[in-house]
Amino acid sequence: MTRTSSLIALIAASFVAAPLASAADLTVSVEGIADATGSIMLGLFDEATYNGDGSIDGATLVVEGTSVIATFEGLEPGEYAVRLYHDVNADGEMNTNPFGMPTEPYAFSNDARGRFGPAKWEAAKFVVEADGTAHTITMN
Amino acid sequence: MELSRRHFIEAGLGAGMVGTLGACAMNTRGADGVAGASGQPAWHLGYQNAPANGFEPEAMKLVFGKPPADLSGSLYRNGPAQFQYGDQYASHWFDGDGLIHRIAIEDGQAVHKARFVETRKRREEQTAGAFLAPGFGTLGDESYYVESSDDVNAANTSVMVVDGELLALWEAGSAFAMDADSLETKGPKVWRDDLKAMPFLAHPKVEPDGRVWNLAVGGSRVGIYRIGKSGGLEDFGMVDIGRAAYIHDWTMSERHLIILVQPWINENLRPPVVAGFEWQPQHGLQMLIVDKDDFTNQRWAQAPARAFFHTGSAWEENDGTIKFDVVLYKEPVLGVGGGAAEIRGDWTAADAGVDGVLTQVIIPPSGDARLIETGIIGEFPQVDARYRGKQRQLTALVSGTSPNRPGATGLSTQNWMTGESRQFEFGADRMVEEFLFVPKAGGSSDKDSWLIGPVLNLKAGVTEICVFDAGNVSDGPVCIWQADYSWPLGFHGTWA
Repeated sequence: MTRTSSLIALIAASFVAAPLASAADLTVSVEGIADATGSIMLGLFDEATYNGDGSIDGATLVVEGTSVIATFEGLEPGEYAVRLYHDVNADGEMNTNPFGMPTEPYAFSNDARGRFGPAKWEAAKFVVEADGTAHTITMN
Repeated sequence: MELSRRHFIEAGLGAGMVGTLGACAMNTRGADGVAGASGQPAWHLGYQNAPANGFEPEAMKLVFGKPPADLSGSLYRNGPAQFQYGDQYASHWFDGDGLIHRIAIEDGQAVHKARFVETRKRREEQTAGAFLAPGFGTLGDESYYVESSDDVNAANTSVMVVDGELLALWEAGSAFAMDADSLETKGPKVWRDDLKAMPFLAHPKVEPDGRVWNLAVGGSRVGIYRIGKSGGLEDFGMVDIGRAAYIHDWTMSERHLIILVQPWINENLRPPVVAGFEWQPQHGLQMLIVDKDDFTNQRWAQAPARAFFHTGSAWEENDGTIKFDVVLYKEPVLGVGGGAAEIRGDWTAADAGVDGVLTQVIIPPSGDARLIETGIIGEFPQVDARYRGKQRQLTALVSGTSPNRPGATGLSTQNWMTGESRQFEFGADRMVEEFLFVPKAGGSSDKDSWLIGPVLNLKAGVTEICVFDAGNVSDGPVCIWQADYSWPLGFHGTWA
C-alpha cells in the first residue's frame, strides 16, 4: 500500500502504476541535501503521533545527489507532518554531540524550525488533499 | 607587606599621575556620575552601540610616555557592543553582540580596528533592527527559531589565537573562527564532527608549550577539550560535577584541571538564563580536581560557599598542595539588576552587589581547602602565560570601585611570594578594563612583563591603551595611546 523510492525508481514507477481512485497520494521532495552520501530517514506523522515515539509511516531514501523523493499512497485525506534527518554516515541513527544536540542535518515539513525542541505540529502540519499533494522540504 | 587600597589612592594622587593624565584630556564630559549633554551619565559611554560595521583601522595618538621598544604584537579583545535598536534596549549586558578589536602595536605605533562577529543572531537582528534571540538575560522573540546553541551565540566574551587562527569565544556555544588580520568571520569552529555545536568556554587555558585545555559545560556534565598547539583536537572526555553550577572559568596546574563548582545552581537553562539561578550555600564551594592524564582519576576538595567568575592560575607544591587565586564573592552578584541597569544608564550603587576579593585558595593533599583573602577588591585576574600552571610571583587585576558608577578605577598586582600588593588609581573619570601580561624581551620572571589594557577616559570621551611595568604598577603608566573616539567596555582579550 505504501511505497518509498529514490528519484530514479519513482520516475520508472510513474509509467506503470495507475493512481488509486479512492486514495490520497503524497509526494515529499527533499531538496538542498549537502552531502551525496547516506540516507534521508523520513517519518510521516498525523497529529496523534507527532509528539510520540512512532510515525504512521516512514521512508529510507538513499542519497545519490542533492534531492530525494518519497511517495506515500492511499492516505486518508487530512493533516500530516514530516520529520526527517540525513543519516550522513549511514549508521542508522541521528547522531548527537555529547549534550544531545544533533550533529546530522534534519528538517520538518513546511521547513518549520524548532525553538528549544522540534518544530511544533502547528508549524509543520500540511494538508494532503483527496486528489493528491506534493510537498517540498528544503534542507538547511 | 600588604598596603591598603587607600594608601595607593593617596600615593597615586600624591605622585601627580592622575593630574598628569587629566591634563592631557579634553574636558568635554561631566565628572564621574554627572549627566552630560546626552542626558546619560558620563560612564554610560562604555555601554553605547559601536558602529554597525565596527571600526576601520585608525592610528592611535601617543599622549603620554614612551612605548617600550620590545612591545610588538596585537592585543585582541572581545566584548558586547550592540545594546540598543531604536528605543529597544538589550535586556542584559552579556547578550550584546561581540565586537572583536585588534590593537596592533609595532615600532611604538598603535593601530585600532574592530569588527562584529557575524553570528546568525547578529545578522538577523541587524536586518530586523530589533533584538530577537533569547540569551543570558533575554527572553527573546517567539519568531526566532533556536535549534542549536549557536543560534543564540553572541560570541562576545573573549578571544584566543591557536596556531595563527583567531577564535571569538562565548561560553554556551561554539567558538567562532575569525581571520586574525581582517577580523572577518569564518564561522563556528568544529573541533571534531561529533562535537559540533558543543559549548566552548571563554576561558581556555594554554600551557607554556602551547597545548590548550578547555571545558564544555552543560548542566552537571562537563566536557574536557585537549587541543594541540597546532590547533588539532587531541582528546575529549566527559566528567560529572554533580550539580548544574554556573561555570564561567576554572583553573589548571601542570598536572590537574581544577573545576570550581560554586553553589549557584541552574537546573533550567531556558531563557532568560539568569532567572533560573538559585544560590544554595549549603553545598559550599566544591572543587573537582581531575588528572590531566586520566580524567577518571579525580578527587574533591571543599571550601566555604563563595561565588566567582574568574580565576588567576594554579600551581602545585612538592607535597601535592594546590594553590590558586580567584576573585571570590560572598554571594552571587548577578540576577539582582547588575548587567541590565548599566546599559540603560540608570545604574545605582545598589546594583553593585557585594565586592569581589582576590583570594588565594590552598588545597592540601587531603582535607578542606583554605581561603586567604588579599584585601584587594577587583576583577579580571591575569597571569603571565609563561607561568600558566607553574609557581609564579604575580597576579594583575583591575581594582577599585566607585560609588557613582559601575566599573573599576585602578590596576593592582599581588605578589604571592612576598605578599606585597601594588596599585595604581586612575581616579573617578576612568573606567579600567582587563590588563594582560606581555613578556619583556630577555626577562627572567613574570615581573619582567608589560601589562597592557584599555581604559575608558570619561573626561575626554575616548578610549586609551595603557602600558604598565608589571613589576611597578604603582609608578603609573609607561605610555598611553589615545583613540579619537571611544568604544564600548569589553570583557577579555589575548596578546598574540
